[in-house]
Amino acid sequence: MLKEYFAIAIRSVLAHKIRALLTTLGVIIGVSSVILLMSLGNSAREEAANQIRGIGSNLIFVNITDREGSLPNDWLENIKDAALIKNYSQLVSSQVRYTIEGQAVDVSISGVNDKYASINSLDMTTGRFLNEYDLAYDSPVVVLGSKIPGLLLPNQEVIGSTLMIKGMPFTVVGVAEERGTNFSGDNDLMVYVPMRFASRMSGFNTRNKTFYIEAASEDTVDLTLNRVLTYLETIMPSENSYRAFSQTQILGVLDTLMALLTTLLSGIASISLIVGGIGIMNIMLVTVRERTKEIGIRKALGARQSQILAQFLIEAVIITSLGGILGLAISYLGTLLITYITDFNVILGLDAVLLSLVFSLSIGVVFGLYPAYTASKLEPVEALRFE
Amino acid sequence: MIRLENVTKRYLMGDNVVKALDGIDIQIEEGEMVAIVGPSGSGKSTLMNIIGCLDVVTSGLYELNKISIKDYDQDELADIRNQQIGFVFQQFNLLNNFTAIENVMMPMTYAKVSKQKREEKAEALLNLVGLGDRMDHKPTELSGGQQQRVSIARALANNPAIILADEPTGALDTTTGHEVLNQLKKLNQSGKTVIIITHDLEVAKNTNRIITLRDGKVIQDEVQHHA
Repeated sequence: MLKEYFAIAIRSVLAHKIRALLTTLGVIIGVSSVILLMSLGNSAREEAANQIRGIGSNLIFVNITDREGSLPNDWLENIKDAALIKNYSQLVSSQVRYTIEGQAVDVSISGVNDKYASINSLDMTTGRFLNEYDLAYDSPVVVLGSKIPGLLLPNQEVIGSTLMIKGMPFTVVGVAEERGTNFSGDNDLMVYVPMRFASRMSGFNTRNKTFYIEAASEDTVDLTLNRVLTYLETIMPSENSYRAFSQTQILGVLDTLMALLTTLLSGIASISLIVGGIGIMNIMLVTVRERTKEIGIRKALGARQSQILAQFLIEAVIITSLGGILGLAISYLGTLLITYITDFNVILGLDAVLLSLVFSLSIGVVFGLYPAYTASKLEPVEALRFE
Repeated sequence: MIRLENVTKRYLMGDNVVKALDGIDIQIEEGEMVAIVGPSGSGKSTLMNIIGCLDVVTSGLYELNKISIKDYDQDELADIRNQQIGFVFQQFNLLNNFTAIENVMMPMTYAKVSKQKREEKAEALLNLVGLGDRMDHKPTELSGGQQQRVSIARALANNPAIILADEPTGALDTTTGHEVLNQLKKLNQSGKTVIIITHDLEVAKNTNRIITLRDGKVIQDEVQHHA
């Protein structure tokens, strides 16, 4: 019997193709925008998570924000159970301005130790990072951010060449991979020099202010961070004079934020689905009225109320499902287009697909029910008399 | 098998109560061919709706096969229309989006007959009414007489005992009207109860019994003796 209802409903839909398409336009727009926004949101979350994970998920960042404040030299010794800490690097920084063809380029100079690269998962494209001998002998060597060679050392072999920093010659030993911008600034416009060498140069704040700590493992990140915070609480004058957070925390906050944004946008988009549903109800009511005679004939020939109800309900569901499928196809093309014109890899999530199909189906049922019920309750005699 | 006892039907039209039927007593036996005649407004359409279970009485008794219609619910009434009564309407009432054979199959669909059996039966019925070569035509591609024959085939779909024809020749010319009447006569000869509602006495003369209505009352009920 169900098969017959579908056959009848498909016939009625096909008899009014344009109308069916226009009717379901709201559902098409609703479904495609919900899927597209959900997919975009999820892909953005994934992208951000990957970027942060790339920096190193065991990373803890400590910074004294108070102008006068600083940490004692042996502060890390005070973190009980030093086994929690795998590596750490202090960071001292300064800025230097180069002028290239009349354009000012500000380069950050970071004084770090040889552990900095591994803590931050910073890989080299050529050469090497600072090593323990550079640190021990205070060698005048430098590692460059990915944009530096093209700006300051164009058209030459970079490794082994000399870069002048604040009037001092440094030998280039490595170039870092592209990192983009994060909370420490534009990583690609940064150069790394040995810590102690830097602290002897002018313009560096040599106080113990910024530290990168690598926790022993992913499981001990929170524990280590808690120890650091407890220590900072005891020695710093106020909560506002320092900050310490883990990469995992940033990841979590960012993820929550993005999820919230995605839900919010999808929610707004799903309003259009409701509007689409009201459109369906409107047209189905018109259809029922238009086909009053048909309903009368069917009833005279023995159709039960439930059979009339099923016929019109299935018709509504077919129209909205059609909208769901078309919307899905459009959002798929949309993701291809976005992936094509941007670098952003947008993937149609299975959850979004299922959700929208269930949604469009339910809209057919919810908004088709009242018109179908109206049809089923028509009096046969009056329906037959309708012209 | 059809028994009406003191049947009344009242409608509310605006503030006025209209008595469409006013104390009808009729009994029609199996295998009869009956005409119900009367001028417009006499209540004959209302009577047909009641006999066809499309409408219910206001008071009185309507028994079909010795069971009072009052005892049936909506679904059971739909089943009676589907199984026991075949309707033939003045305006044919075919579904224009569907072909002749699909129209004939429709009552069988509601009776949950399998697709194969539906097709076989519909084909046989269309052959019976002489439309074997028009099965895949839509109603708009058929003449009035052909459409009425399709609707007769449809009325026979579930092999009902009663054929209820409301002005079956009303929209047809004399010649095709005769053909349709002959078809109905043949059905009566094969054992079906045929009830024709008409205002045309010439049509009524084709039956064996004429029941005349006026103002909702039976004013004459006479058996015809054909030569």
